[in-house]
Amino acid sequence: MSNLFDKTSDALATALRMRQMRHNVTSSNIANAETPHYHAKKLDFENALASALNMDGMNSMATSNEQHFATGGKPVVSPEIYENPDIAVNNDGNTVDLEKEMSALAENSIMYKTALQLINKKMAALKYAISESR
Amino acid sequence: MADFITGFRVSGSGMAAQRARMNTISSNLANINTTRTAEGGPYRRKDVVFESMPDAQSFGEVMGATDPKSDFQRVQVTDVVYDKKAPILKHDPTHPDANDDGYVAYPNINLMEEMTNMIQATRSYEANVQAIQATKDMALSALEIGR
Repeated sequence: MSNLFDKTSDALATALRMRQMRHNVTSSNIANAETPHYHAKKLDFENALASALNMDGMNSMATSNEQHFATGGKPVVSPEIYENPDIAVNNDGNTVDLEKEMSALAENSIMYKTALQLINKKMAALKYAISESR
Repeated sequence: MADFITGFRVSGSGMAAQRARMNTISSNLANINTTRTAEGGPYRRKDVVFESMPDAQSFGEVMGATDPKSDFQRVQVTDVVYDKKAPILKHDPTHPDANDDGYVAYPNINLMEEMTNMIQATRSYEANVQAIQATKDMALSALEIGR
């Protein structure tokens, strides 16, 4: 069944959710930049999102029995939050690299806004269709 | 669960912690020559202890019924500790607080050390402000979806 809000909208919504979560992880690293024994955390979702979207061609397969494998539908992405392993440990056991965190913050913020732009463009196209191209 | 409020709360805790640190630094700088205190003896240098703790997310966690398990860590000043360094003795027999040998105990505060800590606290505070700014930007532009 074709949907008004297709797979791209779902993917964008998931990306927004993940970006927001990563933003919180980066914020908490920045807040704890001077806390002894705090270990910087990292969130990965790109691979999970890519594999969730990699079900191309299966989007239109219908399931007639509840025991059938679900195909298509919303991408289910479970992000991983883990301690960042590739960072030097300070004298006080803290592993936050403030410069890296600040650039990650800026990058993530830009990518978030990019996804927002794309969603807005999709909405604009839908609005255009709804208003009979007036 | 993750929302923008978490980001504000976490960055806010970072700002509050750095401000508390700034207050102890100010107090150390102001009392760099203080020889009398309520506890007796010269002023002793103070330092804050930062501790990270999971941000409380649900109602139960905020009320303390259950332990927070969130991945987002707030920072908190859990203690203000006294520096254990011995005071500096200066020979000044005319000083009212001089001991029998004519030595006055001054606080063991290093001006350079305090100034360095002050700059570090300022920069960390600014980093948190930047993070809040980014959170605000993102939240506001999310409100524009479909406009």
